[in-house]
Parts: sequence; C-alpha cells; structure tokens
Amino acid sequence: MSMLRRLLGLLPVYVFLYLPIAVLITFAFNDSKYSVSWKGFTWKWFGKLLENTQLMDAAVNSLTVAVLSASAATVLGVLAAVALYRYRFQGKRLMQSALFVVMVSPDIVMGVALLVLFMTLGLKPGFLTLFLAHTTFCLPFVTVTVSSRLAGFDGHLLEAAQDLGAGEFRAFRHVLLPMLFPAVLAGWLLSFTLSMDDVIISFFVTGPEFDILPLRVYSMVRLGVKPDVNALSAIMFGLTVVIVFTSQLLLRRKR
Amino acid sequence: MRQLVASLMLVLLLAGSAAAAGKVYVYNWTEYIPEQVLSRFTEETGIEVVYTTYDSNEAMYAKVKLLGGEGYDVVVPSTYFVNKMRREGLLTPLDRSLLPHFGNLNPAILDKPYDPGNEFSVPYLWGGTGIMVNADYVDPTEVQSWKGLWSEALKGRLLLQNDLREVFGIGLLLKGYSLNDTNPEHIAEVYELLRTLIPSVRVFNSDSPKLAFLGEEVAGGMIWNGEAHMALQEMESLKFVWPREGGILWMDNFVIPKGARNLENAHAFINFMLRPDVAAMCCEEYGYPTPNVSALGLLPDDLRNSPVVFPPDEVVERSEFQNDVGDAILVYEQYWQKLKAGK
Amino acid sequence: MRTTNLFKRLSIGGAALWLTIFAVLPFVLIAGTSFLTRDEGTFVSLRFSLQGYAGIADPVFVEVLRQSLYLASGATLLCLVVGYPFAYTLARWRGRGKAVLLLLVIIPFWTNSLLRTYALVFLLKGKGLVSAVLVWFGIVDQPVSLLYTELAVFIGLVYTLLPFMILPLYASLEKLDNSLLEAARDLGANRLQTFMRVTVPLTMPGIIAGSMMVFLPALGMFYIPDLLGGGKHVIAGNFIKDQFLTARDWPVGSAASVVLTLLMACLLLAYHASSRRVHRHGAQGFDGGKA
Repeated sequence: MSMLRRLLGLLPVYVFLYLPIAVLITFAFNDSKYSVSWKGFTWKWFGKLLENTQLMDAAVNSLTVAVLSASAATVLGVLAAVALYRYRFQGKRLMQSALFVVMVSPDIVMGVALLVLFMTLGLKPGFLTLFLAHTTFCLPFVTVTVSSRLAGFDGHLLEAAQDLGAGEFRAFRHVLLPMLFPAVLAGWLLSFTLSMDDVIISFFVTGPEFDILPLRVYSMVRLGVKPDVNALSAIMFGLTVVIVFTSQLLLRRKR
Repeated sequence: MRQLVASLMLVLLLAGSAAAAGKVYVYNWTEYIPEQVLSRFTEETGIEVVYTTYDSNEAMYAKVKLLGGEGYDVVVPSTYFVNKMRREGLLTPLDRSLLPHFGNLNPAILDKPYDPGNEFSVPYLWGGTGIMVNADYVDPTEVQSWKGLWSEALKGRLLLQNDLREVFGIGLLLKGYSLNDTNPEHIAEVYELLRTLIPSVRVFNSDSPKLAFLGEEVAGGMIWNGEAHMALQEMESLKFVWPREGGILWMDNFVIPKGARNLENAHAFINFMLRPDVAAMCCEEYGYPTPNVSALGLLPDDLRNSPVVFPPDEVVERSEFQNDVGDAILVYEQYWQKLKAGK
Repeated sequence: MRTTNLFKRLSIGGAALWLTIFAVLPFVLIAGTSFLTRDEGTFVSLRFSLQGYAGIADPVFVEVLRQSLYLASGATLLCLVVGYPFAYTLARWRGRGKAVLLLLVIIPFWTNSLLRTYALVFLLKGKGLVSAVLVWFGIVDQPVSLLYTELAVFIGLVYTLLPFMILPLYASLEKLDNSLLEAARDLGANRLQTFMRVTVPLTMPGIIAGSMMVFLPALGMFYIPDLLGGGKHVIAGNFIKDQFLTARDWPVGSAASVVLTLLMACLLLAYHASSRRVHRHGAQGFDGGKA
C-alpha cells in the first residue's frame, strides 16, 4: 500500500479537474480577443482588468454573498438534519418535502417565485434578497450531506451523554458536532460553490445596486467572453491556492 | 494663496455638483457599451453610471415587468420588445428637448411600426442576420439564398442560431411571408420546411457563433453581421452573404422605463450616446452599424464601406425588422420545442 | 427533554421557519400558478384553468422528460463510477495533506462554471488538445471533434457535478470502521465480497446523498447541453425556462415544474419502498423524503 500508488490512483481525477483550469488561465495571457488559438504572450488583460472596476466590484460582492449565505445555510442545514434525525415532531414530513422541493425546482422557477415573494414582502431586490435566496437553495445540500453521515450513527452515544447529565445542546456540541464535522465542512464547501456559480436565481432576485460576478460573465455570451474575465479567474484561482497552502503550513507549524 | 483658496473652492464646488448630479442606472447587455464611453460620460457630467446586465430580451422583460418598471433608468430592448413594453405602458415618453443630438440619426431608420414617431425609443445599434460560409468547404455562390443552407456541402456542418425567431425567420422569408407573421397555418408550413433542415444541424448556438466558425467546427450557417465582421478579420476563408430573400433585422434601442427615478440623467445619458464621436466609438468596438449619420464620417474607411457591417440599401429594402408577434409566440414556441426535440 | 428543550425548539423552529417562508410559500405560489390562465399583458390572470396541464400533456414534454432523465442518470452513474474509488482512496489516506487533497477537489469549482465550460469547448474541439493527444497516441488517424456530441455533454455534466458526488461520499466513507472490514476478512470474505457486502451497504447513505445532489441539479443544467452538445438536447430546465421567458406561459412552466417535482418524489419513494423491503431497516433522517 504505498502512498505513491494511491496518489497515482487519485491523479487522473485531478488532471480531469485541473486541465480546463489550466486552459482557462493560459488564455488570460493570450494576445487575442477571442480564446480560439494562441497568438502570443501578453500581460495586457490584467491591466484591462484593473481598469474594469465594475468587474472587480462584482467579484467582491459575489465572495461576500457566498461566504455569508454558505455559513447561514450550514447553520440552518445542520440544525435541520439534526432535528430530522433526533426528534419526532409535527411537520417533519413537511420539512422533508420542503427540502426536496428546493432541490428539484428548476432555477427559473425558484427565481421567479422568490422575486414575487420578496416583492410581496416589500423587500427591495439587492444584497438582502440575494442572501436569503442563496441561503435557501444551499440549505438542502447541507442537510443531505449531514444526514448521510448521521445515518447509521449510534444514538446510544447521545443518550449516554445525556444520562451523564449533558443537556441537549452540550450533547450536540460535544458528541454530535465533532462526529459530523467532515460533513459540515463538505456542506459549507458545496454551498459556497453553489452560491459562487448561481446565475438564474440571482438574476431575478438581485437589484441594480448589487451586481455579482456570475451575472456579468453569463451575460457576456452575446459578444463572446473577453480574456479579462480569464485574468480575473486566474487571479482568484491563484489567491485561493496561496491561501489554502499557507493556511496548511501555518497549521502544521502550530502543531 | 488666494488663488489656492479659490481653486480649492472650485474643486469643492465641482465635487459638490458631481455628487448632486447623482447616478443613472443603466440595464444592458454586458459590455455592450465600451468602458471608456461610460467613464467619459461620468467625467463630463459627474453622473455616475451604475451598469447592470442581462443576457436576453426575454429575461430583461420578465424582470422589468415584475419590478413594475422600477429600479432602472435606461434599458436597451430590441425592436420587438420596445413595441411590447410600449403597449403595456412600461415606458416613459422621451422628452425630445433634452435630446438635442437626436437629429444625428438616419431618418430612414426612424418612425418604424414598433414605435411610431419614436415617442419612446432611440436607436442605439442595429444589425441583421445573414449567411456565413467557410469557402474551403462551401462555394459562397451556393448560398445566395437562404435555400443554400440545405446544400449538400453543409450536411452535418451547419450552424443555426439558438433562437426561435431567427430560425423561423429563415422559413418565413423563404415562403415569402413576413418575419412577424402570426398566422398559425403559415407557421405550421414553415415548421414542415424547417424540419427538413434540422438533420443538417451540427450546432444551435447564439453564444458567440463566430467561435464555431473560427474553430472550423461548422462550415456555414446563419450569423449576426457584427459577429461575422469580427470573424472575417480573423480568418481569410470565411465569406458573408446577405441572402436574396433579405436578412433578419433587429435594432437595439434606448428606452426609459416608467418607474425611472433619474429622468434627467437618463436623458443626459441617451443624448451623450447620440453624440457622433461616441456613436462612432461604439460602432467600431462591436462591428454593428450605427444609425447615427453624423458618426459615419468619423469611422475608418474599411468599416464604413464594409457591406457586412453596413448592409447596402437594396438589402435593407428587401429585409424586415423583427417585431412583436403577440400571442402567436405560443404557436412558435410549440413548434420550436418540436423541432428541437426532434418530434 | 429533561434539562432544556431550547435546543430542540431552536433546531426545529429555525429551519422550519426558514423553509416555510422561502421554500413552501414559493412552491405554493408555483403550484397555484399552474392552475391559472396565461395572460399576454400580466403573465397570469386569476382565473382557474387547466391550460397549464393541458399544455404539457404533449409528446414533446414526454420527450423532454425522457432526454432529461437519460442525461441526468447517465451523469449520476458516471460520477459514481469516477467518484467512489476516488473518495475511497482519499478517505483511507493515512499520510499528511489529506485536507489539502480534499480542498483541491473543490477549488476548481470556485471558478465560474461558464468559463470552465468554455475551456472544455476548447479542449474537445477538432483543433483542440484532446484530439491532438488522440492523434499523437495513434488512437485515431485524423483529428476528431468531440464537440457537439452526447459524449461531450456527459463529460461536461460530470465535470460540473463531480464534487457533489465526491464530498458526501467522502463524508460517509471517512467514518467507515476499519474493524468491520477486518472482521469480514477474518470471517473469510475476499476483497470483493468485503467491498460489496460491508463497505457499499455501510456507505449507502453517502451514495444516495451524492446521487441526489448530482441527479436533481443535472435536470436543470441546460447550458451544458447547449454549449457542449450543440443545443440539440432539450432538457427539463431548458423547457421550463423557455416557457417562462420566451413563451411567457407561466401556467405551463409552473405545471411542468410541479409534474417534475412529483415525478422525482415518486422515484425516490419507490426507491425507498424497494430498499426497505431488502434491508428492513431504513436510514433515519433526511435522505430524500421518507419518514
């Protein structure tokens, strides 16, 4: 069971995942307006990007919404999963159905329905409505992931903790949560991903004051995607990789 | 010292006026107005442009309608949506006195049925769909008519727009009907005709169709003239043709929704876009013809004289602008789904 | 129960309140709309009608459903085949850097999916990298374009949805008790038997969760068939979007959405009924609409 052999087993999937990213980043340096063929190396798209403050603002807005709504969805989603696992209560079936409906509903349906709802509630389309909508469509993904880990979990452990005098919350905090952690993390990451990528629901629920990145990219299609978007993606990707690796290094040093 | 104080006061005054000038909320296709045009507008007027985007007329309409026309000051619908929004009372009539540059527009392109007298709309850019082929595979003389799309050489190498009005446009033109025909029997006839074209289709694409041509994934198909213009500059073997039956024309227009809050700024913005130098910049950037006559002189010769970008008069005469088809859209939609699902 | 019920109330109440407002209400709106009448001027008018359902009682809609189910189930199966061994190896990873390896799975997905799809277009086209590699290895003699084929659609769907399979699989594989596997071996089971009889059943909740999270979104991902498949597939998401935007026929769009939801719910319930018969005990919690 050599580590190398295992790594080789994982490699094809990583290649599959990263090859398109490599292409995308390469085209950020391509001296051609359209990403058709290689026309020579250039930095100019990065310069163009710096001028394009609207694109940068949209990127920051997207990150803000994604972090906040993924976190909210994780809290609510975990609570829902635990409630469904632990308790019998009225409306349990309704809660399950609601989660299911959110997952099945096509984006356009969710988008239109939520916009109508927000207008009825008197909410102005913008950051808040976007946050509410994103949290909603991320929530079931967290609950499903966490539930799958809860399934088959030995409930006696919790009862034991409670027999020892732990309250519901402490039992949750000290017994359930540590066990659930990988699923909670997975749920957050999936939510963040969903939120960063949503176009159709966001199109309907956001307002003119709050533009987000996927909307700008998506509506570029009519005139072709410009390489400054590739440049932005390259920068964001680079930053992510740097953050991930430095945080790992710091964690390791701490130990 | 006094001079310094005076200039400081001037700066403050200017800053104050800039802040008072406020904002204008523009809702448009992405990158459909060059970045430097927007920043120049802000420099000159102090009005900040908040520019948000959509990807289709249909999506824009649904949103503006649901919001009751509020939130945006300037929107850029195509002809057939101008008509629809106008009839539904979603638009504010324009104040021509605030648009002194309106006179720069080509009278031949004004006062069309979609907006008689241009009470609600100001043309921005227009364009049309014609045929483009790769001469390495297909002889351009074979596609002088839309019928050429059925050519043997295009089997399995054909590109059609992923847009029902455009695709049905081919059949309507071939049958000699109006592009905006609402007669269900005519539409059924056109469906039967188009059904025979579907097996040749390699791709339905309205997302930058030039890429499929440049990658030689397709040998021919329908394409907007602006897209074609950009593609022709990249590849020698591509040829663009305005078909005998005419092209499928559209025009994008500035309108002010009825709930707009910054009416003066909206007019200022539209007027700015009508300035010859600005209109010329937009035309050059995107390769679509400008209806602004005064801008023509400012364009480079090859662009101004390009029959691809500026369709010759006889082409425009035999072509038609897309217009709203009302409830008939349901009939179109039904046949379109049938075409796509291969039933 | 004894000490405090606050946590229970909070956990049920928080999620229930949120879901009622932002999930149940919109669904009620849509279900209601499906029984109204289309109106060219105001989208819908408040008159009861079955036009919405009449509009989808059409062979075209059946064909759309067939194509959607076909693409979505194919994508789910492929994700499972690719994702399971990967998640398995990752979950059993003993060395350093496990967290990094896991994060590396999800990082590509923070780049806009439309841009990534365009990158796939570049890779799969006739003059693209994949074709060049195939020629170089002598697998084909002429450059081939994989673009605008069904294969391209599947590649695109798997590429977009893979982490939604890998992450839940990882979360359920990671807690797999090694002693159970050893016990099975001690009892004389070979590798395959251990895998089929112990590992797979124990990670079934993860498999179901992952499959749901791939299958259901796949029904609506129309930009992938459009960009990679040449727009020749009409899938449910596409059909419904066209009804809402192009045809502006909200009752038909809503009816299609309601029917789709019910159909999926039936599929899941049927699955649970059959698996309960096999296993007798069902998993608890939310894994798709069973109590």
